[in-house]
Order: sequence, then structure tokens, then C-alpha cells
Amino acid sequence: MNILGISAHYHDSAAALVVDGVPVCAIQEERLSRHKGDAAFPLLAIESCLQHAGIEADELDAVVFYERPMLKFDRILTCALRAFPRSWRAFPKAMKNSLGEKMWMRGIISSHLGVPGRKVLFTEHHQSHAAAAFLTAPTYRAAIMTADAVGEWTTLSVGEGERMTNGPTTIRRFREIKFPHSLGMLYSTFTAYLGFKVNEDEYKVMGLAGYGQPTLVEQVRKVIRRTPDGAFTLDLNYFEFHTTAERCYSSRFIELFGPPRNPYEPIDLDTAEGQRFASCAASVQRVLEDTLVEVTRALHQETGLPDLCYGGGLALNGIANARILAESGFERVFVPPAPGDAGCAIGAALYCDRIHFGNPDRDLPDHPFWGPSVDGSELAQLAREDGHVVVECHDGPLVDQIADDLAAGRIVGWMEGALEFGPRALGHRSILAAPHTTEMRDRLNREIKYREPFRPFAPIVPIEVAARYFDIPPGGARLARFMSGVFPVRRESRSRLQAITHVDGTARVQVLEPAMSPRLHALLEAYGRRSGIPVLLNTSFNLAGEPIVNRAVEGYSTFLRSKIDVLVAGGTRVTKRTSAMAKTQVDKIKEGVA
Amino acid sequence: MDSARPQERPTAFDRMLTPLHRWIWSDSNRCAQKLLRFSETETDGGRDILRAAEVTSDPLLRRLYLEHALDEFRHGALFRHRAAALLKVSPSRSNPGFHGDWLAPGGHGLDDLQVDGESDSDMLAFLHLSEKAAASRFTVYRDVMQHDAPTRAVFEEILHDETFHMNYTLTQLVRVEPERHRRHLWRARLSRLWKAYLRLATGLAGILGSTLLTIQYFVLLPPFAWLAKRAARRERSGWTMVSPGHSDALDRQY
Repeated sequence: MNILGISAHYHDSAAALVVDGVPVCAIQEERLSRHKGDAAFPLLAIESCLQHAGIEADELDAVVFYERPMLKFDRILTCALRAFPRSWRAFPKAMKNSLGEKMWMRGIISSHLGVPGRKVLFTEHHQSHAAAAFLTAPTYRAAIMTADAVGEWTTLSVGEGERMTNGPTTIRRFREIKFPHSLGMLYSTFTAYLGFKVNEDEYKVMGLAGYGQPTLVEQVRKVIRRTPDGAFTLDLNYFEFHTTAERCYSSRFIELFGPPRNPYEPIDLDTAEGQRFASCAASVQRVLEDTLVEVTRALHQETGLPDLCYGGGLALNGIANARILAESGFERVFVPPAPGDAGCAIGAALYCDRIHFGNPDRDLPDHPFWGPSVDGSELAQLAREDGHVVVECHDGPLVDQIADDLAAGRIVGWMEGALEFGPRALGHRSILAAPHTTEMRDRLNREIKYREPFRPFAPIVPIEVAARYFDIPPGGARLARFMSGVFPVRRESRSRLQAITHVDGTARVQVLEPAMSPRLHALLEAYGRRSGIPVLLNTSFNLAGEPIVNRAVEGYSTFLRSKIDVLVAGGTRVTKRTSAMAKTQVDKIKEGVA
Repeated sequence: MDSARPQERPTAFDRMLTPLHRWIWSDSNRCAQKLLRFSETETDGGRDILRAAEVTSDPLLRRLYLEHALDEFRHGALFRHRAAALLKVSPSRSNPGFHGDWLAPGGHGLDDLQVDGESDSDMLAFLHLSEKAAASRFTVYRDVMQHDAPTRAVFEEILHDETFHMNYTLTQLVRVEPERHRRHLWRARLSRLWKAYLRLATGLAGILGSTLLTIQYFVLLPPFAWLAKRAARRERSGWTMVSPGHSDALDRQY
């Protein structure tokens, strides 16, 4: 049975193909279209999935869209009506936006793919999140929580899932919190207030929080209040996201927290104003964590289960995840590699397979590498055409050579195997570097990533030695498998891991099992033999504003435009030609024009 | 062939609109908002040209496109920094008012071009005309910015690069299509015209749609708004219980 899952139209559209109950390909549209956060209908991703499986669209048994468009429209229209007449500016925009394409998904999918309308199905947004979290996790019975900004109406839900090998699967939602009361919207409002992009830069708020003290927690608790039943409610007098399209926060919010940050001004943490913004970030982060911990603690008491599967955009908040693990009572917390909307493509397809069609449960491969594979020979050809230094060799010598490069302080663009699904670079499309000094962190920020100095870099470490360098609690290795938890760097290791230790002494560590990525594991060991510490700095292989690279050619163009010293794709290693070499044809053309 | 010569002279149409441009650029807030928009356009254009560098099989074009893309990214940064400097002096208003953006649609940037599906010759012809139009327009902007030396300097610097871009795109087009480069240029001109028409039509349709929806909003919606508000007042805050089987049927869109 071939089932295609699609998520699209809000941010980060994606497609995933499940064949006989097992995902065979999943990819975000942005990785192919090369437009970051591409929300367009994911035609390229669909083509890639079908091509990967070697099937045509007419061989699909079902195509599942990750949410119910009419239910979403119901929410948009209802909110406009409730905010009448303040919503008069937002109303035409919202209607044109919905009525143009988003409402007619059955017809659109049907016409794009040429499948009959009866094959097009719809899951609920949070159903998709729940399925993505539970059905991909190696657990048979777990509590489930999903939390994001908003789906159709739901913003947070809790429930339970159960599956049996070769048997039936059930996912049951107990209760939910509805829009506009949303932890995701609360966090996004602060993201906008702090001058960052909503739906894109929330992780910057998390990074900034480390530099501040939660001195404004009381103020934040004025805008989000707990309800007697253990949920929460936003005081809508402080918000405008539900009434206008122009601004998330109201004038009253500004009275409470002070003037918002000018997005075009850098944050100077040495000034009182910079500290105020850091304190805002720390305070909203603290309230978010406290709320999630309380909700999950109640869920744990209710279900008595040791495992929690957690999906939705909020599950990208690694600090909150670590606190959930530490304080909720759950022994293990499973966050999928793509907990956001992109991951709903895989969730929708699996939900359809297991629950709609009632197919027996299957254990799924526990890795994030569902995209196209990289071709080292493509890189070799491009680099040779441009006169760069190309070496092609087998794994052993290549790993040794790259370990030498890293030990010599070189920055390496590393591409191997299939592309990761989800926002994190988990070792197949990564920029790797030595993690020891702040100079390396500053060099990466200044010369390659071009990003704010307050944002931390993540480390990667073999699972066998992770506890030597990081304080990973019981169950923490699971969170760290897909870089979903933030844990303290051991005090004695901080001075040797300066580039990846955040200002608060923590790191968003990835622990690597040899089976998940054997070559990268070998590289970590080889690097450890040279430096004494088998830890590398691992950041996503992209430049600011661009999606993570997919093919060798994209890695190559990133390599040429940045100060990455060495590029690896498959068995090919490329270094830039020295500047002493003769003028290129481009230089000659430029001189001619001048 | 006029396209063969580097041009930094504004077109007659642009010259005609000089007083309007002078008025638009006279307000520092409006100026900052326009520069921010240019910054986005240049950066987006840079990404598309970068994509062209990644998909071409011609090594020389790959290197030239890469240079070109880097220039566009730099231009984006120049515009953004200048806008930030202006906004520091004159904080952004919530409603920046009239920008006259429709005056320069697609004058620069890649205008919804599907880079992956374009041949090298079509891409070069399109780029040549885009750069030429941008150079013409930026010349006008530079000339009307007598009162603002730093912004004028930004346009000056960018215009220098546009000359290189105009020239290399044309010489490379002649190289890859020695016999048919004129045909490609004409086709690109027609394509730009068609896109200009589509933009205009879409813009007008958007205005018409917004007007009708706004009228409907005030005429039809008030009773429903009253009902929606009444229902909202009755809603309980906190958890909503989900009944079993609540959304099991996957063939429903609601």
C-alpha cells in the first residue's frame, strides 16, 4: 500500500511516502526549491518521493493532507467575526488567502497528481503531530502531547497511544486547548516583540534567554494565566494576533514590557536595553517551561506511563524538553527529528496507514535520514572544472584525513548519505569544526554563518562517551539522539569545549550511536585520538537565510561562498585552490569590463 | 543594437517620472521602507542567480553567476544597512503610506523566474534586461537623492556593479547563442511585458477583491459577528474534552 502524506501552505511544506507501512522518503520542499521555509504546495518534494520509490502517482492508494482546510477556515472566519469591527483590515486578506487555494485542497491535490478525489484524505493537524511523534518512536505505549501555535483550532492536546507488533494501533486524544489560547502564539508574540521573525526565529529567543535573568516572570504571568483545570488562558487584552494581521502584541503589552526592539538594530547585551530584551526572553522561556512541565506532570499522573511522545513546533524547544524529562515524571521523552509542520507529512501518512486502513503496526527505522543521497562524483566533477584540489578515496583514509583537517583547525563541510528530514543537521549535511575555543565559535559566526553572536553552536559526541563531557540525565540520550534536549556541559570540560558551551553552561548536544551514522562516528573517534576529546562542533550546512544543502552542487556553492576550508561529499574531499594560482576567466572578464 | 552598450541613462519613462520619484524619496521613513524592500529583492534575486549557478552545466557561467549572486547579496546588505541607519534617525511608522512600488515592478530581482527550468540563453537574456532596467531606475534614484549623500553613494556603488552585470550577461548570451541571441532578447522583453501585465491585472484584481470583501464585511457580517461574540462569551476557558472517535473519518475536510 502506497500512501503519500503532504503538509503545505503555512510554513515548511513537505511530502512523505509510506510504502507497506514504512516511510521510504520524506523531504521538505525548501531543500529542493532552495527557498527557505517554502510553504508552497510541495510538488518537488512529491516528485522526489515518487521517484525515490519508483512509482507513479496513479499507484498511490491514498494521499493524505495534514490538516482539515474547512475546519481551519472556520477558525479564521470565527476569529474575524469575534473581533468585529477591529478585524476589518485583516478580513479581506484572510479571505483572499483562504479562498484562493487553501480551501480547495482536495481539488488541488487531485489535479496536481491526477488521483481521484476519493483517494484524497485529511487528518487533523494535531492528529498528524501526534502520529508523527508516537508512530515513529520505539515505544509501544506512551502518553502523547502535541503543542504548537495553532492547527485548525487546537493549540495543545494530550492523549495516549498504543500499538502492538503486527497488531492494531490506537491514538486517543483526551482533551485539548483551543485558539487563541496558545503557548506557541505566546512565544511567537515575544519573538516578534524582540524583533525576530515569527515562525522562523523562535530559537533565537531561546538562545537569547541564556543571557538574561527571568526577572519579568510576574509580568509574563499576567498575560498567560493558569485555569483551575490545569490548563492556561491568554489575556487577550495583551495580544492582537487574533484580530489583525499587522501586529502580534497590543499597546497594553508594550505598556507592560516596554518598547519593542527595532529589528534592524543589533542586540547589545552590554546595555540596559539589551539586558531588558534578554530578560524578556528568559522570562517567557521560564513561563513556557513551567507550564509545559505542569501539563506533562498531570498527564504522567493520569496515564501512569513511563514514556511521553511529544510533537508540534514547541517540541523544538530543547530547554523545555530537558525540563519535561527532569520534572514531569516521564522516564523517556520521544521527540521526532521533524516535530514541526513538515513532520506532519509523515504523521498524516502513518496515521492513515495504521488507523484509517487498519494496517498492522510495523517497527520503523529510528533515524532522520529520509531524503535524497549525495553523490560524491558530482562534487568531484564540479571542483575539477573549477581547478580546485580534489581527492577521492575510501572511508578509512578519508576519515583520517578529515580528522587531521579538524585537528588543524580547519572548518569542514560534511555531506554523506541521505538528507535529514527536519530542521536539524544531524550529521549528514553538517558543518563540522573543532569545539575547543571561543575563537572558533566567533570565526564560524563571522565568516560562515553570519549570525548573531549570542546564538550557541551544538556539539556531537559518540554515545559511549557522552556522559564524560555532558551531564545527561537518565533518558536524556533519547532526547539528544535528534538534538532535542539542552543539557549542561560538565564543569571540568567547559574550558575545553568553549565553542559549544552556551553562556549558561549548557549545550544542545547530539549523541551519536554508531549504527545511525557509522562514518561520522568513526570520524568522531579519529578526532578524539588526535585531540583527546571525541566531540565536534556540528552546525547545519547552510548560510544565513538559506535552507540546508541537499545535493553536492549546493554544498559546493556554499563552500565557494564562505570560508569553509574543506568540503566532503561521499568519498570526495575538496579544498580550495591557493590564491597564488593564475587569474581565472571571470577575473579576466571583469578586468575587460572595467 | 542598443542592448550591446552599457547604459546608465534613465529611460524616457523614468525621466518623466522624476518629480514623482523625488517626492517619494524625500521622506526618510518612506526611503527606508523602500530600501528595505530593495534589500529583499536584491537578496531574493541573488538566491535565484545562485540557483542558476548551481544548475548550469557551463563552468564559466557557473563562476560568473556566482560572482553575480555575491554582488546581489552585497547589494542587499548595503540597502539594509542604509535603511537601518535611516530608521535609527526616524523610527518606523506603523503605516508607511505610499511607496509607489508598482512603478518599479520587476525592474530588478528575478520576477518569479523558475530558474531550474530555464536554459542558459533564456536566463542570460532575462538577466540582461533586468539589470538594464535596474540600472536605468537606479540612475534616477541616484539623481534624485541629492539631499542624502549616503543613500546616493549606495546607489552609486550598486550602479557600478550593474554595469558589469549588464555587460557580462550580454557577452555570454552572444557566446552561448551566437546566431540567435537577438531572438532570445526579444523573447525576454515580451516575457517581461507579459509579467508586467499580469502584475497589473493581479494588483487590480486584488484591490477590487479587497473592496468587495470590505463592503461585505460591513454589510453582511454584523449579525454573524454579534452571534460569534455571544458564543465566545459562553465558551469555557481551559481544557476542552475530546470525544472518542471525534475525528476518525479521514474523508472529511471539516
